[in-house]
Amino acid sequence: MTIQRLTGTSVQRVEDPRILTGRGRYVDDVAVPGMLHAAFVRSPHAHAHIVSIDLDAARALAGVHLVLTDADLRPIIGDMTANGSPGLFVATYSALARKVVRLVGEPVAIVVATSRAVAEDAAALVGVVYDVLDPVVDMDDAMRPDAPLLYPEHGSNVIYRTEHRYGDTATAFAGAAHVVRERFAQHRHANVPMECRGGVADYSPATGALEYTVSHQAPHAMRFQLSLILRQPTHLLRVRCGDIGGSFGQKGGIGREDIATCAAARILGRAVKWIEDRAENLAVAGQAREERLDVEAAIDAEGHLLGVRVLMVMDTGAYPQLGFPASGYTNVVRSLFPGAYRLDNYDFDAVAVATNKGTYVPYRGPWEVETWVRERMIDVLARTAGIDPVEIRLRNLWSDAELPRRSVVGVELIKMTQQETLLDARRRIEYDAFRSEQAQARTHGRYLGIGFCNFIEPAPFMPSLIGAIGFMAAPRTPQEAHVRVEPDGTITLFTSQQPHGQGHETTLAQLIADEIGIGIERVRVVHGDTQVTPFNFVGTGGSRAATLASGAVMGAARQVRERILRVAATLWEIDVADLDIVDGEVVANGVPSRRLPMQMVGILAYTRPGLANDDGTLGIDEHHGYISYEGTWSQSTHCCVVEVDVETGHVRVLRFLVVEDCGEMINPAIVDGQVRGGVAQGISAVLFERSAYGADGAYLADSLSSYLIATANDIPHIEVVHHHSHPDDPVPFRGVGEGGAIGAPAALTNAIEDALVPFGARIREQYLPPHRILELCGII
Amino acid sequence: MSAAEPTMSVDVRVRVNGIDRTARVEPRRTLAELLREDFTLTGTHLGCEQGACGACTVTVDGRSARSCLMPAFRADGTSVVTIEGLGDGPGTMNTLQQACLERHSFQCGFCTPGMLIAASELLAETVDPSEAEVREALSGNLCRCTGYDSIVAGVLHASALMRAGTGDRL
Repeated sequence: MTIQRLTGTSVQRVEDPRILTGRGRYVDDVAVPGMLHAAFVRSPHAHAHIVSIDLDAARALAGVHLVLTDADLRPIIGDMTANGSPGLFVATYSALARKVVRLVGEPVAIVVATSRAVAEDAAALVGVVYDVLDPVVDMDDAMRPDAPLLYPEHGSNVIYRTEHRYGDTATAFAGAAHVVRERFAQHRHANVPMECRGGVADYSPATGALEYTVSHQAPHAMRFQLSLILRQPTHLLRVRCGDIGGSFGQKGGIGREDIATCAAARILGRAVKWIEDRAENLAVAGQAREERLDVEAAIDAEGHLLGVRVLMVMDTGAYPQLGFPASGYTNVVRSLFPGAYRLDNYDFDAVAVATNKGTYVPYRGPWEVETWVRERMIDVLARTAGIDPVEIRLRNLWSDAELPRRSVVGVELIKMTQQETLLDARRRIEYDAFRSEQAQARTHGRYLGIGFCNFIEPAPFMPSLIGAIGFMAAPRTPQEAHVRVEPDGTITLFTSQQPHGQGHETTLAQLIADEIGIGIERVRVVHGDTQVTPFNFVGTGGSRAATLASGAVMGAARQVRERILRVAATLWEIDVADLDIVDGEVVANGVPSRRLPMQMVGILAYTRPGLANDDGTLGIDEHHGYISYEGTWSQSTHCCVVEVDVETGHVRVLRFLVVEDCGEMINPAIVDGQVRGGVAQGISAVLFERSAYGADGAYLADSLSSYLIATANDIPHIEVVHHHSHPDDPVPFRGVGEGGAIGAPAALTNAIEDALVPFGARIREQYLPPHRILELCGII
Repeated sequence: MSAAEPTMSVDVRVRVNGIDRTARVEPRRTLAELLREDFTLTGTHLGCEQGACGACTVTVDGRSARSCLMPAFRADGTSVVTIEGLGDGPGTMNTLQQACLERHSFQCGFCTPGMLIAASELLAETVDPSEAEVREALSGNLCRCTGYDSIVAGVLHASALMRAGTGDRL
């Protein structure tokens, strides 16, 4: 009997029994004997000089073990600085503020005490005298010639500026039938994982080894940077991750608190736990998406796109995130903006500015603004030219038959089936019937709207996209897997993926079980320990796992299978070609009596030199690397139907349909969960979420009562339909982690504008809480 | 330096998942801290400590409560149920947990304790809730991973199992 193939089935998650019974191990669940607790003294000002810091009262409080400022750390650790790229000003900064604070919540001192409560008591006793400076809170203010400067040594708050020209937009615009000009602004919001950041640093004075257990999505990057900044030899530094309560990009960088916590543990020679609270998380853990694009677009009389000009301004906040450079975002947006549409003439200028706000971090589909603005722009063009929004998209999308070809920026477009997903979405949503219903409803004072959105998602990033960006090789670094047969025949996989909800303990085990021919219960996936997992800078992120981690795992598993078969072949003196692995046993074709269970394979491989390996090495232990290649696109059409209540401003999402193509699925239930979760975040971003700042730089949304997130009542059932147009790839799986969040804001805002056509509303801002809806309707 | 001596600490006697426990706590200590630190029941999670996210929800004398906001001393004399107490024994799953396993309800698992407690409270009131009732019952609990669909599906699946007699009632 052959074991049923697991790949392609919704196998129950390996993670779930522990999660469902309260036995997960998240960072705040970690307890080390003698462990102390950290709290941070944080700036109440957006921009100020530090005049003096009085630590006496805090240090005198019973239960306080250590209070540190930059003056204490500066002699013993290095500074922090982000990855650079040509033309980008990258500020260097210290774990704890040095002389100047540049945002509300900036860490000024760390307090370590017997409990978090005592540490917080002591933090309140630290007396910091500030000389308050004028803050820069707005991107336009930041660019003014007389603006206060965050970094006087740089001489400007503009930290990056680029100009790119493709084709000839002047000629294209001169021959246009219609030209539209719009300013589209996306608001600052944040990742908001349910678990805030945190870590437990443990230092052994006996060995000099530092171990940091942290809620993070890239443990090797964390170790690399900790080593550099702490001047801690890397071989004496181990980073571990357990269960992680979500991240969505926020836990990919290295925080100032990580550095200070580890430094404190090393000074004290004992364990120190830092657990961020929600107010801190919302203010300083990282914020995202604050970008504004001025767009000019030209079409001919039939709606064919002739040319587009874009000026993007990005508000990066106060400090560069140690992980992803500001220039990365603008150049990915530039490279992906054309999507799968025909576009020959394209100008793209970008400016990134520093302001006295939270650090900009990657958030699920960090370039999402390319899709939002492009798809908004297409709706505006359609309305201007009197063409149906689906029709204008069909006229401009490449068809698969016309591909492969290079986009205007040089990205390889291969197998684009956006026409198919769009047509299927139009059919499934019953578009024509909806238009009748919409017209009917309007006569009764009910406002229904429909919105579409197409996008292609590099999942993972491919070489031509990296080439178009112009730098940032890390997204295509090889993924490696290490697969070992244990002495009892069970299998251990070591992956550099760092799952935080994606279910890799299940999906990667499914692949191994199928490749080797054993049950999934005999496979264990190990992640989250830099001492044993292969190196990778990205960890889990960038929708890499489906193709790259799978390719590495499948390659290593195939090598392991060859070694397993070799054991039996040598033992039985049978040709490998006559052997198979069925249901966890090696069998000889046509010789039913010849069966070698995996338990025996394991024992033999570890005890009989020469059986598993020619050179006499014991055991079966295989590594395999896998690197990105062209054509690894996921793609989707999102379609959203809303009803807008023009008396209350409430937007109700009646239907949300995703027609997507991510190739073959390893575990369809997990794919659907990723898609739906991303869509929910996109809907929530538009209707609820905002990292709000006052004109003085005060942070105004530091609780989940002031920073709102959509609930089960706000998110509808999300319909997900799968297409599969990549049947022939060696690794036919594509990432889906980011797409849901990329497409949803465009489909939703297009639907809202469609609903509000009777009011002549034009949606130029992505944030649409009830009062904005009423303003758009002219009611308030 | 010696540890801070808690002032005005009080004794708390509380039944947790059917087991009587005692602890001496500072007045400012929360029920969540009592459960997680004193009793090492770390299945109850702290997502905001502001009473907003619901991850820390437990039942106190049969009614759901935010353990991050409730002072530990207020739990004196009560019976508390946490996620660890839903099954028959450590690591075992009740019908709701099994149903959520089968529906791939959760991803990162951080909201899970509060969601399961909120759903348990609903299913204890009615074994035949509508989808709208399930969504309403879960609307005080935030999840950032799933978009809620799979959690709603898990709760409805549990109710179906209970009504079909193939799952124990809560």
